[in-house]
Order: sequence, then structure tokens, then C-alpha cells
Amino acid sequence: MHLSRLTLRHFRNLGTQDLELPPEGVAIIGDNAQGKSNLLEAIYYLETFRSFRGARDDQLVAFGEGVFRVTGELVAVDGSEQPAAQVAAAYEKKGKRKKVTVDGVEPERVGDALGRVAAVVFSPADVELVSGGPSVRRRYLDIVLSLSAPGYLHALQEFRKILVRRNAALKDGQPGAVVMAWDHGLVRSGAAVVEARRDWVQSRCRAFDEYYSAVSGGVGARMAYRSSVHLDGARGEQDIAEAYRDALVASSEREQRNGTTVVGPHRDDVVLRLEDEGDDLDLRDYGSGGQRRTAALALRLVEARTIRETRGREPMILLDDVFAELDGGRSERVLGLMEREETGQVVLTAPKEGDIRIRRDALPRWRIADGRVAA
Amino acid sequence: MSVIDQLTGEFARLPGIGPKTALRLVHHLMKGPKDDARRLSRAVMELAERIRPCARCGNFSEHELCEVCANPRRDSGLICVVEEAFDVGAIERAGQYRGVFHVLGGRLSPLDGIGPEELSVAPLLERVRASGGEVREVIIATNASVEGEATAVYLEQQIRPLGPKVSRLARGIPVGSDLEYVDGTTIAEALAGRREM
Repeated sequence: MHLSRLTLRHFRNLGTQDLELPPEGVAIIGDNAQGKSNLLEAIYYLETFRSFRGARDDQLVAFGEGVFRVTGELVAVDGSEQPAAQVAAAYEKKGKRKKVTVDGVEPERVGDALGRVAAVVFSPADVELVSGGPSVRRRYLDIVLSLSAPGYLHALQEFRKILVRRNAALKDGQPGAVVMAWDHGLVRSGAAVVEARRDWVQSRCRAFDEYYSAVSGGVGARMAYRSSVHLDGARGEQDIAEAYRDALVASSEREQRNGTTVVGPHRDDVVLRLEDEGDDLDLRDYGSGGQRRTAALALRLVEARTIRETRGREPMILLDDVFAELDGGRSERVLGLMEREETGQVVLTAPKEGDIRIRRDALPRWRIADGRVAA
Repeated sequence: MSVIDQLTGEFARLPGIGPKTALRLVHHLMKGPKDDARRLSRAVMELAERIRPCARCGNFSEHELCEVCANPRRDSGLICVVEEAFDVGAIERAGQYRGVFHVLGGRLSPLDGIGPEELSVAPLLERVRASGGEVREVIIATNASVEGEATAVYLEQQIRPLGPKVSRLARGIPVGSDLEYVDGTTIAEALAGRREM
């Protein structure tokens, strides 16, 4: 399946445009601040109904406008003319209302419409995945798993809902029995979240290592889920729930002092380590700029592989001027890797024609200036 | 402010009624026989004056005790705990339940500053304690929301040491519905709570 048509209405500076996308993808060339990344942002909005750049919905509405709307049509690879699916998202600034439809029908929950495009964004800001705080990596896991693991998003939302209430009870200085009333739900949803995250990290650790060494041209790297709950020996969800319950009991004094829940998936992290001549370095603390960028790329490649494995679709790859900051050797190897991996459509942005290095001859060129695309 | 404006304003404050509907209701009352308006007004007055919470369970009542509590044929050894008095009506309409009720007046909601003290929890525990073992079972019928669940867990912790069995309403597939239209969460709950046949 690929994105065949993109209709834009007042999304950032993109104005009113109806674009036909070729099945192989397109290279978008334009100077800085012309709207290249906005276009990728609009496409990826149809995947998660959020900005991949962390912008709020009201910031996506063009200046002076009240509503933005993005519509995408997906067609099957076999070349049939009929769209296989239509995904649309609109946001109204005044009523702060978001409306998502799939084939014209509003799903019961926005979560039911996630992941229709099956896309992955590679962006220079991805280095934050490695150098940023734990919340950045949790967010990465939450997005990947919401799009690939059935039931994950529900468990996560349930967990968050219960967590804010439990924290309010703690902050309010409610007696232990009242705080404990939330433990049952917290443990149940929290254990489901932790299990899914831990299993995903464990089962993709090897792929991460392979991608890392393929890009670095040598040493490998590992990733591990570091939970605030002591998980040693915990096998399934039941074990994790028990461990979580124990951890809550053990931390009850500390959480009363701090007025907040101090253990659980909201305090977990993914540790990324580099194996270098017997040394074992935390990339976040000790990685060089190039090593961190490599690890971030590897994480995105693992994300793309997860789409292939769990959804059985060739992921659409969105590359936001991503090779600008890689040294020559690394970017050659990434390109080689991307050419080898089975990917679907590629939409990439670059400031100059010469910066297009992937599918150099295959991709049609579009130029973008002041938000207007010209084929 | 004219009488018409005043009444229109009052109607518009009711749930589900906008300014247009409110005006239509007022016009209807103005056009119809005067007795219709008087009867409505009397019914509203009586509602305000006669309905009060039942002294025992907190259900809507016209007397000291509500119809359920005052009925000697109801099983007072079985108490069904609900969040709001409206929930009593829902269970009563099913016509299956022979026990009595207890209305909490809400649910644990720390974000709104609602803890056990703001709810009718102490009177419930007192009821159980004062029955001297007559209360055999407490059925917790709070809503299947995160807050309803936490309220259920809290009540269970408080009631069990007093002796009675504590149970919770089952969750699952609505009766008479097609499986294919039931949402995933409900199906997961129904699977987890399945019964041997």
C-alpha cells in the first residue's frame, strides 16, 4: 500500500494543495523555512494524529485560519485505481476539536485509527532519542508499541488515568487505604505496559545491534529496558504485576514524602550501550555526536522493521534532511542499508539537488517555495 | 424580565434543552389549557418539597425510608452499593434484585477532591456493623470506570474485615448484542471473566 494522494488545507504554511504522490516516492527540494518538514509533518500526522515535532495541534493551523485538514488516500501496491483507504484529520482551533475519519467514518476512539499509513520519520532531531532524558525514549516506545501491539495503547491510557488520580490522592495527603484503592488498577495496567515494552526491547535488541554496527561500520551496541520495578526473574504479566505491587509497598514512605508515585512504567528508561574494545559505555553519557546519531538511526530502522513484522506492510520512509549531519562513511552505509532493506514509498527532503543520495535516479523531484509545491 | 423570559431561562437550564426548545415549551404552555400549566407547576413543586434522601440508603424517597427499605419482603442481608440514586432505578427496572441498596453519592475522585469523607462510606460501614451479622453480602455496583474500580477496591478493603462477603458486578458482552460490534476492551474483559459451562 502507498500514499497516492495528499490533500492539504491550512496545515502550517502549506495552504490549499492537492498532491498526487508517485508509488516510489518523491524528493522535495527547497531552501530552509519553505515548508519541507511541514509536508512530512502533515503526512505523519495521518499516522499518529500528532505532530512528530512535538507541536501542539493549534500550532499546526495556518496563521489567520481557524481549521486545518489533511486527507490521505492509500492505494494497494497492485496498482488498482480504487483507494484502499482514506484517512483524514482536521483540527478546529476555536473549539479545540480534533476530528479523525477513516473512509469517512469517525472511529469510536482516535486510537482505533492509528497507524494506517505505516510510516517512519527520520529526522535530525532524533538524536534526542539517545541524548535526551528518559521521557523521550518512553515516548518512542509508546508510539512504536501503540502502533504495533494490540491492547498497548489502551493499557497505557488506563495507566495514565489511574496514575494522575493516585498522585492527586497522595498529594492531597489522603490516608494509605485511599491511596491503595488505586493500586489494583495501577498494577494491572502498569504491568501490561512494562511487559510489552520489555518484551519489545528484548526481542529487538539484536536488530538494534545489527543496524548499529552496519551504520558504524564496526562495533555494535545494545539496548535494554531499565525498569524502576525490580524485574529479575519476572516472566509474564502476572510476575511483573506482583513485582510492581511489592515495589509500591516498598516505596510507600518515599511516595508519601514526595506526594507522587515513584515506581512504575512512568519512571522507566531504555539504556543504550556501546561495546567498544571490551568497554561498555552508556551512549547517553559518553557517546560522541556521531555515535548518538548512529544509535538514533538504528532505533528508527528497528521501528521500520517492527512495522514490517507486525503489520506486514512495507513502511513508508520519511527522511527529513537526515544525512546533513552524518559523516561521509556513515551516510554511505546508511544509504546502502536503506537501499537493501525492503521499504515502501520514500519521501525525503533536501536543501539541494546534490544532497539526494537515496534512490537518486528513481525519485521524481518536487520543488517547494513558500509552502507551494511544484512538480 | 418578563414571565416568559424567566420561564424560558429556567427551562434552558435543564439538561438537553437549548434556548429554542425552551421557548417552544413556554409557547406550548401558554397556548394550552391553563390547567395543564397548573398541573405541571404543582408536580414540580411537590417534587421539590417531597423528595428527599432515604434515611437508611440515600435513595430518592418521599418518606423517611424509601420504597425499597420500607418493603419488608426485601432481603436486608444483601446490600447493593451504587454511586448515584439513579443507578437504583436501573437495577430496579431489571426486576431481578431482591436485596436493598446503599447510595454513595459519587465515587472516589481525587482530582475533584472527593475522598471517602465526601461519600456515604461511614454510614454504609455503620449499617453493616450495626446489623450484627445480618448483612451476608455486599454487592459493589460502582461504574466500570477507573474511578468506579478504585472505589470498589476501597470499599472491599473496608467491608471485608467486618464479615460479609464482598462481590462485584460482572463485566462483559451486553446481552442481545452482536460480538462483532463489541469493542476490544470489553471483549478482553469478557474473556478474562469467562465462566465454565
